[in-house]
Amino acid sequence: MAARDYLGEFEHIVLLALLRLGPEAYGVPIRQEIEKRTKRAITVGSLYSTLDRLESKGYVQSWFSDPTPARGGRAKRYFRVEPLGVKAIRRSQKALSVMLEGLDLQKI
Amino acid sequence: MKDPITAPFKTPPRLACWLLRLRLSKAHYECIAGDLFEEYSTGGHPASWFWQQTLSVITPKFEHQKHSASQGTNPMNLFSGFAKDIQYAVRTLRLNVGFTAVAVLALGFGIGVNTTVFTFLNAVALRPLPVRDASSIVSIYQTFRGPTNRSVDGAISYFSYPEFQTYRDQNKTLSGIAASALVYVSLGGTTPRSLAGQIVTCNYFTVLGRTPALGREFTKEECETPNEAPVAVLGHDFWSSQFHADPSLIGKTIVINRRALTVIGVAPKGFPGTSLVPAAFWAPITMQPTMIPGRKNLEKSNLSWLEMVGRLEPGVSISQARADLSVIADRIDQTYVPRKTVLAVDVATLLGDPESRTILFAGGSAALLAVGLVLMIACANIANLMLARAAARQKEIAIRLATGASRWRLVRMLLTESVLIAVMGGAAGVVMANWSSQFLLQFVVASLPSDLPGVALNIELDLRILGYAFLISLLTSAAFGLAPAFQATRVDLNSALKDEGSGLTTGASRSWLRAALVSVQVSVCLVLLVAAGLLMRGLQAAQSVDPGFKTTNTLTAELDLKRQGYTDARAAVFNRQLVEIVSGFPGIDAVSLAGLIPLSGSNRETVVEMGTPPVKRHIRINSVSHQYFALMGIPIVRGRGFTEAETRERTLEDIAVISEATARRFWPGEDPVGKQMRHEDTLIEVIGVARDARSTSLSAVDSTYVYFPVTETGQSTLSLLIHSSEPPVAVARRVRSAVGSLDSAVIVNAKTIQEYVDFWKKPSLLVAAVAATLGFVGLLLASVGIYGVISYGVNRRIREMGIRITLGADTREILTLVVGQGMRPVLAGLGVGLLASAGVAKLMSFALYGVNPIDPLTFIGVSACLTAVALLACYLPARRATRVDPMVALRYE
Repeated sequence: MAARDYLGEFEHIVLLALLRLGPEAYGVPIRQEIEKRTKRAITVGSLYSTLDRLESKGYVQSWFSDPTPARGGRAKRYFRVEPLGVKAIRRSQKALSVMLEGLDLQKI
Repeated sequence: MKDPITAPFKTPPRLACWLLRLRLSKAHYECIAGDLFEEYSTGGHPASWFWQQTLSVITPKFEHQKHSASQGTNPMNLFSGFAKDIQYAVRTLRLNVGFTAVAVLALGFGIGVNTTVFTFLNAVALRPLPVRDASSIVSIYQTFRGPTNRSVDGAISYFSYPEFQTYRDQNKTLSGIAASALVYVSLGGTTPRSLAGQIVTCNYFTVLGRTPALGREFTKEECETPNEAPVAVLGHDFWSSQFHADPSLIGKTIVINRRALTVIGVAPKGFPGTSLVPAAFWAPITMQPTMIPGRKNLEKSNLSWLEMVGRLEPGVSISQARADLSVIADRIDQTYVPRKTVLAVDVATLLGDPESRTILFAGGSAALLAVGLVLMIACANIANLMLARAAARQKEIAIRLATGASRWRLVRMLLTESVLIAVMGGAAGVVMANWSSQFLLQFVVASLPSDLPGVALNIELDLRILGYAFLISLLTSAAFGLAPAFQATRVDLNSALKDEGSGLTTGASRSWLRAALVSVQVSVCLVLLVAAGLLMRGLQAAQSVDPGFKTTNTLTAELDLKRQGYTDARAAVFNRQLVEIVSGFPGIDAVSLAGLIPLSGSNRETVVEMGTPPVKRHIRINSVSHQYFALMGIPIVRGRGFTEAETRERTLEDIAVISEATARRFWPGEDPVGKQMRHEDTLIEVIGVARDARSTSLSAVDSTYVYFPVTETGQSTLSLLIHSSEPPVAVARRVRSAVGSLDSAVIVNAKTIQEYVDFWKKPSLLVAAVAATLGFVGLLLASVGIYGVISYGVNRRIREMGIRITLGADTREILTLVVGQGMRPVLAGLGVGLLASAGVAKLMSFALYGVNPIDPLTFIGVSACLTAVALLACYLPARRATRVDPMVALRYE
């Protein structure tokens, strides 16, 4: 669905975070990675809305691990970027760089 | 000691977790709650962070909640409907800030006073004890059917020590059972003073599951031999205030009732023991001979003096325990045929014994009734406001009905508004109750005599209080919202849409409802005002009530000779010497000994055979020395008082002075002097009659009062009365040093008679102040209500008024019409209210100092005041009606 979609800014950020984290990508580190790098506070609500949306577009896939005691006996939900997601990042990235061509942001 | 494994983990807010589980689908709950838990328990986030995160997923913005996870069944549909109702209600209420504010304030006050009363009832009788797993701790009390011949020290529902042992050894449902008794003792050492403590069985702390914060608890051996285990566990507060929380106190001794006790432990902070009076210390029950000198309570099998608490075995229900213990009770009963014991086994609270609960129930109901009336007036007011608003919204409602909304849907919408108002009012009420109960508790504690220990009441907000406030909020929303909601949706679509709503004849049933609401308000308000008025009159009378004895310049001194181990013979010597020394002080007119200080709250009763013909009677008694009558200013009206010789070294109480009321009651029309009474084997001769006084209670003259001369027995419990021209503070200081010179350990509790008298006036002062506040608020609410209804009625009938004026009605006729119609429900309410007030006044008569319950001044005054307020409330809109311009009115709408 919507193969020619461009990513929203936050979707973009989340996908990049998943790529950075690799096999360690589940809720807590994703949130912390984004907060650490972008210096902006994000809520689990916005994070999971976005992850769910990305999953329904086929950009990411998620699966549950075994329950861990540190989480009160609850399972972790791991995320991985699918080939479709990588394509979407490239597409958005390309669109951005095309639009930036010839512009010098320092001078504006 | 923190557990090294669990210490770094913080438990997330329980309510937030519950909300997450409620709102999220299972899969989302699993990963989101897991994330939050993981981060919260290890990271340095505050609870507010957890809440912020929770809110981000439970608000409608978050898409993946339960309903979207299971589209087919759609269990949240009802919820979302309500969400819409709430959204709409919020918007409507926001558009009517004035209405909302008035309604929330009125309700907040009404719910606030109700919740305040509940807070106290909760603290005393509902809140479980501050112990581990409190819900499995039961209190055990007994009541008796059939004749019993039982001695009582405390309450009859308490147990004897042998009974405790029987229950302990024979029960099969409790993992432990402990007994305790409250004792008042004298602390020796550098700062001697009175203390309240508990003597307890040695498993007390084990059963309650509270291990001492410091040191150890009692061992089994310490409860084996009477008076052989001089050890104590101190209360945390007492340890902090008296010993500056010095941990090295363990192993040292404190002196109680002249006996050195080794401190073996300190109870955990926030554990006041199992009685209303916080315990400063606990000692083994075997120390009873030291703690309650002169008694052999441990041996007596038919003496009520111990309270029992037990811990249920895991998996055992309270009713199983009750059945098990009742079998044991039946077995004990066989020794005391024909008595039948009924056990009361319930979750333990601070006040569990059946007698106190009965009193609390009566007092609590009275208080809840009074504050319930205020809430009723508030509800009637808001119902009226809702009715008026519903009328104004008739068109909106008609359009909704016409476009296909069901009536139920509209009722639900209007009710949602009511519930929202009520919940906001409830929230305001909880805030107010929290504040006012703290204020009241401080007031009560401050007005307790300084020699009494405080009260261990925990009035902090808990789920029960919140639940109660929420429940009455819902009830009130039904009370003020239901009728208007149904009324409002019963619309004639045709006329409403054509804007004929303000016609001449519509809404007959609605105006009937309004009139009824006014009547209810007036009658309820009258009851409140009469009650307040009577209490104020009572207060006024109490300030000037003559107790029948002099209250000025008289100092009293209670001594703790008995606790200090004095026998009556030694105490007699002590008292004689003390009276001699004190009599020699400058400015002293008279010194007397007395068994009881008048109005001190202690009473003594005995049974004698007296009167013609002789019948067994309960009489109140006191024993006094010869100077008592002169010192107290109680004249002897017939016969004579005691001579000095008669009150010295006497062994038998065989002469007596009786009060006038006693004489009137038992020997009406006869001269009582020379008559005889019989107490067991002693014949007592009446030698004189003393003027009536209020020695037992300030609210009434003693119905019986018999004075005996002081004798050898009972010397260790006598008090000193001193009349002096010097200031009481100075006299008290000299008395203390005189007592100190005789025995430095003896504690003197010195107070003036006036202080005792004032203490009796305090409750009526408090009650009158509270009642006056409630009455005033009731009047305010009711007058606003009446004004609102009349004013609204006039607005609706502007066209009618215009026609009347056009047809020639003059100002007076219009005034009479409007005021007359407005006053009709008021007068009906007054009538009902007067009858109800008379009933309430009769019930209150015990609290009124010498005021006739049907006090004409109060009844007439209050009715007149209420009528005047109602007249004013009617007159203002009526005057507006007379100023209607007929031309404008006829063109109106």
